[in-house]
Amino acid sequence: MIGQMWNRYRQRFIHYFQVYSGFFATSFIAAMSFRIHFVLLIVMDLFFYVSTLGSVHIIYNHVSMIGPWNREELLFFVSVMLTIQQCHMAFVSENFWLFSSTIRTGALDFVLLKPISALFSSFFRHIRPGSFINILITWITVIYYGIEVHLGLLAWVLLPFCILSGLILASSLDMVIASSMFWMLEGTGINFLRIELQELSRWPDFIYGSITSRILTIVVPVLLIGSAPVRFLFDHSDWLPLFGLGVAIIVVWVVLHFVWNAGLNIYESASS
Amino acid sequence: MINATGLTKRFKSYKKPPGFFASLKSLFYRQYETNYAVNSFDVHIEPGEIVGLLGPNGAGKTTLMKMFTGIITPSDGQLKVLGYIPAKRDRLFRKQIALVMGQKSQLWWDIPAMDSFQLLQRYYEIDNTAFQSRVAELAHLLGAEKFLDVHVRKLSLGERMKVELMACLLHEPKLIFLDEPTIGLDLIAQKNIRDFLKKYHEKTQTTIVLTSHYMADVEALCSRIILILDGKQGFDGPIGEFETLLGHEKNVSFLFSEQQDPINSLWKEYDAQWNKEHTEVDLRLPEEKLREVCAYILQHYPVIEFSTEKMPIERVMKTVMSNPKLIQ
Amino acid sequence: MMTSLPIEFLKWFQTMKVSWSEIMVYRLNFLLMVIGPMLVLFFIKYNVWSSIYQGTPGQEINGYTFAEMISYHLWFMIVSMLSMAYSGEDLAEDIRLGRISSYLIYPFNFWQFNTARFFSIECIQIGIALITLGISFLGFGHILGKLDLPAFCAGFGISILVGFFWFTIQYTTGLLAFWFEETWTFRVLFQIIAHFLSGAIIPLDFYPSWLVDILEYSPFPTLAYIPVKIFLGSYEEPLKAAFILLFWIVVSTCIAAWVWKRGLKLYTAAGM
Repeated sequence: MIGQMWNRYRQRFIHYFQVYSGFFATSFIAAMSFRIHFVLLIVMDLFFYVSTLGSVHIIYNHVSMIGPWNREELLFFVSVMLTIQQCHMAFVSENFWLFSSTIRTGALDFVLLKPISALFSSFFRHIRPGSFINILITWITVIYYGIEVHLGLLAWVLLPFCILSGLILASSLDMVIASSMFWMLEGTGINFLRIELQELSRWPDFIYGSITSRILTIVVPVLLIGSAPVRFLFDHSDWLPLFGLGVAIIVVWVVLHFVWNAGLNIYESASS
Repeated sequence: MINATGLTKRFKSYKKPPGFFASLKSLFYRQYETNYAVNSFDVHIEPGEIVGLLGPNGAGKTTLMKMFTGIITPSDGQLKVLGYIPAKRDRLFRKQIALVMGQKSQLWWDIPAMDSFQLLQRYYEIDNTAFQSRVAELAHLLGAEKFLDVHVRKLSLGERMKVELMACLLHEPKLIFLDEPTIGLDLIAQKNIRDFLKKYHEKTQTTIVLTSHYMADVEALCSRIILILDGKQGFDGPIGEFETLLGHEKNVSFLFSEQQDPINSLWKEYDAQWNKEHTEVDLRLPEEKLREVCAYILQHYPVIEFSTEKMPIERVMKTVMSNPKLIQ
Repeated sequence: MMTSLPIEFLKWFQTMKVSWSEIMVYRLNFLLMVIGPMLVLFFIKYNVWSSIYQGTPGQEINGYTFAEMISYHLWFMIVSMLSMAYSGEDLAEDIRLGRISSYLIYPFNFWQFNTARFFSIECIQIGIALITLGISFLGFGHILGKLDLPAFCAGFGISILVGFFWFTIQYTTGLLAFWFEETWTFRVLFQIIAHFLSGAIIPLDFYPSWLVDILEYSPFPTLAYIPVKIFLGSYEEPLKAAFILLFWIVVSTCIAAWVWKRGLKLYTAAGM
């Protein structure tokens, strides 16, 4: 009985894995046919790091602390956030931008026909290969500032998992928001809502007032994405937010499940 | 294969009159109205059939297809396709169906068709040898070997349609839905697609549901016709029955070398339609009198050309569409 | 001439009206894409600087009190509302999908059409900026102090010029769609650079002096730092700023005209 179930899940996993590697291959082939765009995307992201890290540096040239953190601590946080965002851009972001037109033009029809989860092939279909190069660069800054803030051994070991869970929460929240495109055909605008929430999460939770930070931790848990793991990495007794991050991921997935299915139910499929 | 009773789909929409102030008003107040795209539709389709879904634009053909495939959820009624409820979108159900839409592409625009196929191979878990031989076989049947490695965005419409068909047949579906597969194609390309479908059906006996605006497609492929008018079922039966829906009469036209006298009683009897110069006439002849009358005219009048209509189905469609009451 | 002028005016006005209706239809999009980011950015900056000044209560940082810092960013938000409205994305899509053919036939050319659209959006933006300003004076009146009318008029004029500058940049990069499948990377890249170097994130006084000296020779400070300072009444040479902007507007308009000519040749030759 258990063996059967195990076998079934194994097969399913292999199936999805193979489809995903197909996504990877096709994304790469497509990216290669627009070479200038490919290069510009990389350059664009690099400029973005320089301006983000540069701004923090410039502020710290005039003050010694922001909240409880010094220069290296905040820069470590920013690097972690940039890494999460860069992974987000590499693995999922492109899909959210395309999803609105997928719905509007009715291309979702074909996604729905495939014998694979429509959620999976809607939000993991497109991968941005250029961004992988940049993930490497953000990792270098994470490691550099990680050494500067004297992370302990346990923190180093947990670092990748912390970043991964931040990434999972960020992407899951985005999927919920993107699912609202079923109701509102103004998809581009909804993508900006995502970006605005991302902007909010790019700063540590302590900069916000108590009401804002509660809303952004509990109602729309964007502050858990980066602040929760980094706080834990700095001080292992500060584990509650990280636990909250885990809970948030589960809750968001439950919500996503309902929102997505309700969305599919009302999907009207444009006629041409 | 397909069993539907009382199938219904309602859509909600709102109206916005033109102009800035109307827009401003629609900010606060919107007048919604409900439209029936499909209204209590009953249909039963058996394995191996090729069924043509016909109807004017906006009659609900595509909506019906989308409900059959599980893309949209019916508002009301029962529907079972291959024993599954399509809206539940069971994995095994999706592995057995295929949909081709002439106006939409399922292939990825920025990569060659072959790369898309390889992705589809993984979607449908087709093993490599089966996949290779399937691609080769279909490419051969469609004459598509040459452009499988070209970026899809660079293909012509006819070439793209062939590749689309291949994409949907890779997993050997038991049930195929074709929505306007020949739309926008030139006559030769249309015929190629049609011939392919005919051959494919003869070989595999796959069930096919087809919509088309080209009666030639329907005439060549379908054994049965379902007519949809305004979301409701108009006619359901064999194509031969549809052709004779308006009676057993044939249209015959004659072209004469000189002007004729339209007053003659011979013409009157058969509902003659003359051109302005009275050199050409269309007659409606009862089937049993066809030979006799034609022979008489050919013998007694200076006929240079004459023809009986090739596609009575086209005439029936035109008549029914302009006057739907005829069949209700 | 007497008769042609009103007809010409009607063409522009009608185009603007159509564009207003479009914005009304996609009002949520407009709100989320254009206004949302500016409000969120201000919200973040307010929180960040509150948090920074909490460490040094009542003190000045680099010559800015907390009130001065917040009014700097409030005025920057007004400047950005007045200047960053038009996006070249629609234009690029018109070219990519071959829709510009109709403008080649109309007696109202592509540039006129897009300029009219810019005007229509600018009108809405002026309204939004004024409303925002009104609300800001209600909420932050104690911080903003009194409104200095001549400074306000000068700042307003300069901000409109900044709007023109952004329009020409967006227009020119949009035209690159003749050659490239995606043009948004050019725009975003320029925006990231301009954002960082114009004082939009941090006042330029905080930047290292060697960088500020270099920036003197670029249009960047006139895009944010200088207009804000003019609004604040602490920049002495608004006319000089206006000339710098006009110079760059003329330059980029000439580039746009040249790019258009080249692009059109390609378009008509290839039939695309």
